[in-house]
Amino acid sequence: MVHALEKVHRLLKADGELIDIHPMFDPPAFEVRVGEKKFPVGWLRETDDYEEYELADEAVNDVVQRGLFSIERKGTFSFITHADSAAELRQYLIDEWKDAIIDEITFAHAAEMFNSIERDKEMILRVSTNIARYRSL
Amino acid sequence: MPIQLDPEDSETTALLDYADFTDKYVLEIGCGDGRLTWRYADRAARVIAIDPDADRIATAIKDTPATLKDRVEFQVNSIEEFSLAKGLGTNGNSQLQPSQGLFDVVFMSWSLC
Repeated sequence: MVHALEKVHRLLKADGELIDIHPMFDPPAFEVRVGEKKFPVGWLRETDDYEEYELADEAVNDVVQRGLFSIERKGTFSFITHADSAAELRQYLIDEWKDAIIDEITFAHAAEMFNSIERDKEMILRVSTNIARYRSL
Repeated sequence: MPIQLDPEDSETTALLDYADFTDKYVLEIGCGDGRLTWRYADRAARVIAIDPDADRIATAIKDTPATLKDRVEFQVNSIEEFSLAKGLGTNGNSQLQPSQGLFDVVFMSWSLC
């Protein structure tokens, strides 16, 4: 990751900017929304337990400390995926999130909540995400 | 209703709040199928968007709006392998020349992990 950032530094013009978006170290949260209420049902784990996100933070800190970039601005936002059912989100994760661990208990619990007579309901995956702007020095 | 990714547009809102792409030369790393590229490319001078996933790049190329075809270039590539000399001009209309320190903005889209 540090090598990638060093290459980015070489590719940028002097005073160019790097925008980085990557998930936070915290595991994404599953929620079921029933009507107006949202119920937490579990967390999404990955096979490497999110080690790569921590390494990403360390790599950025490394190039900042070495004076390749300065931090101009940092923030967070929630990236939310919406599905009509627990099964739909489960299949999406199998197809698209290769290192996700499919916790069947979590999905079974979520599926039970879909038995509510409330018609307005959905399954949500909330990913807390970092965004930052760095200036090339 | 199919899976919806960020229908709140939180990601795009944050991105456009943090970066001014107007008339900029942009390298997007980890562009996938171009989901985010379309959100800013119309204001950039030139975009090179790379991703190692050939299927997603094929989708991005297929879905490129006609109005952006002369401005956006997708490549199956990683940042480690990316080479300006190798990569530019593959679509025959690139105005960029191989050199270092070319880009105004590099955007790492969920790729630094």
